[in-house]
Amino acid sequence: MNFFKRGLLSITRRKGKSLILLAVLFILGNVIAGAISISQATANVEESIKERLGTGATLELDYEALDSMEESEMMNLEIPNLGEDLINQIGELPYVKYYDYNTTAFLASEEIESYNPMMEEAEGEVEMEGMGPQFQLKGVNYAPLLDIEEGKSELVDGRVFTDEEIENGTPVAIISKKLADLNNLQVGDTFSLSNEIYEYSESGEEEVLDSRDVPLEVIGIFEPKTVNSDTENPEEFDYMDMDFQNTIYVANELVSQEMEFSVGDMPEYEDYYVPFFVLNEPEDAEAFEEEVSPLLPDLFIVRHASDSYDSIASPIESMSNLSKYVLIASVITTILIIGLVVLLFLRDRKRELGIYLSLGESRMRVVGQIITEVLIISIIGMTLSLFTGNLLAQTVSDSLIDNDNNQSEEEIYYTEMQTDLTTEDVIDAYEVNLTGDFILLFYAVGIITILLSTVIPLIYIIRLNPKKIMM
Amino acid sequence: MILEAKDLNYYYQDGESRRFVLKNTNVSFDKGKFYTILGQSGSGKTTLLSLLSAMDTPHNGEVVFDGKNILEIGHDNYRRNKVGIIFQSYNLIPTFTAVENVLISMSITENELPDNHKTVAYNLLDYIGISQDKANRTVNKLSGGEQQRVAIARALSTNVELILADEPTGNLDEEMEQEIIDIFKKLAHEHEKCVIMVTHSNDIAEQSDQTFYLKKGVLNTNE
Repeated sequence: MNFFKRGLLSITRRKGKSLILLAVLFILGNVIAGAISISQATANVEESIKERLGTGATLELDYEALDSMEESEMMNLEIPNLGEDLINQIGELPYVKYYDYNTTAFLASEEIESYNPMMEEAEGEVEMEGMGPQFQLKGVNYAPLLDIEEGKSELVDGRVFTDEEIENGTPVAIISKKLADLNNLQVGDTFSLSNEIYEYSESGEEEVLDSRDVPLEVIGIFEPKTVNSDTENPEEFDYMDMDFQNTIYVANELVSQEMEFSVGDMPEYEDYYVPFFVLNEPEDAEAFEEEVSPLLPDLFIVRHASDSYDSIASPIESMSNLSKYVLIASVITTILIIGLVVLLFLRDRKRELGIYLSLGESRMRVVGQIITEVLIISIIGMTLSLFTGNLLAQTVSDSLIDNDNNQSEEEIYYTEMQTDLTTEDVIDAYEVNLTGDFILLFYAVGIITILLSTVIPLIYIIRLNPKKIMM
Repeated sequence: MILEAKDLNYYYQDGESRRFVLKNTNVSFDKGKFYTILGQSGSGKTTLLSLLSAMDTPHNGEVVFDGKNILEIGHDNYRRNKVGIIFQSYNLIPTFTAVENVLISMSITENELPDNHKTVAYNLLDYIGISQDKANRTVNKLSGGEQQRVAIARALSTNVELILADEPTGNLDEEMEQEIIDIFKKLAHEHEKCVIMVTHSNDIAEQSDQTFYLKKGVLNTNE
């Protein structure tokens, strides 16, 4: 009868105490399993949402730093421009898969109609007076179009730009399918935008000072893919959709020429570019930022697409933090409670332990017997709590998400990097599952916790003096 | 000679002074004999037995088993393989059956034993007077005399030559006491064991082959 068999016999012969230990372990195991379940589910959400947010990065002004500036500082502040050279230098870094930089102009047209979902609903009865230029001329430098490469849009007809067209500012454009359908435009057709210079009188009336036509040939038609309509805020969706549908992709050079016309003789005018870099891997973000930050002018920072995760995932984040605290607290509680329970049980068995030692049994085997007993009961308790803890986690997290979500106003976050993910998407991605990873992690945490909890009781065994017990 | 105590000293430190429990104790024991160590309560009998059984270590002197200091043998190793100990309060594991208590000591020893431990344990218990039916009961369902028999069977189960008993009949009635003493005499005389028993009973001492008298920490062969 080796120490393992003695341990097994002890468990079955001391049913009452074994059941008490099992009950304590089951309760604590539920708390640990619940905390791990929630923690893992939140980690999975972060991973999947960040993956959906993509590996995009841009350079933008640090608005937080600007907000914290004194008024006098603001008065003297000169915000530098990101030149093409710097953008190209950063774009050549090894972390960058491809990059683009855009400059934008807003133009009107008397020849074509802009897409407006609200007008569509009113069957064309709403007049669009006083709306100003309705078309966003978006200049690009990356000929295959970053939005298409990134899957935000799909080219449904025609082609993308050629490098020559980008370089020369050839008057060719890629327009949305809705805009094309609305105006009966097809690939190869030409349409005209109007670049108008306005002057506003004191009474607020606008007067066209100068204007010129911008003829463009349609070379491609795209359909936006990322803006989905299943949001609970249809009006906001309509505006976003309208912006996208009325975007006309052209070469940066062409936008630049139109801007030069608009500003007239203003000598200080410079093209203002918004860069966008797509990194190879999400893990490159940190290294990219480290390398780029020193190159940037003051007040500019690197912003990653995944940064918006923090703003859309607040219910999940708060639950993730809560689960971490609960996990730490429950592990410490388990160590203390199990340690004390086992110690109390061992004190009851002092004579038995003395008998083993008096028979010449090594202290390590006596320790081994006690660990065997505690581990067998622990594994049974943990296995039971694995399932109930998972259910508990599901219930607790549902109610926590509901609470947190009801407290904050429902909002759509639509960042510069065109993320249409909402808090609802993040919550939808949250799922408490009984995965292999979870089971492994739970058993590892549980067994390590139990082993730590037996340290004090085992010291008690090592210090036992058989003579004092037996004689 | 199987066991020898050489110049054993054991004391309690009380500030600057020492209170000796055993003083320059020299004694030797042979196989095939039943010895008693007789003394009143507090005379140091149990201390002497704890040193002979390696449950404690003397401050001076040595205990030699078969020509070897038991410190060299190792206390755990000595208790595991060289000596069987019987206590006044039986010291059996109450949640286990009689046969399981015997099997535990058989699993701890490294001495060569027949393969079928369970059969050997039942036979041993039967030899000592415990039937198979009683052997399968948890020990707290046995009488005091029966529990002490189980303790004797446990001490013998490891096939050792030296049996140390600390007032094993202290909790038993006279009839049962005599039965236990008869077992010890049989073990010594028929099975060549060396049985050393600590007692305060003159009646028991008279039945032993040799009696040592312990008075105020000093061991003598005469009263």
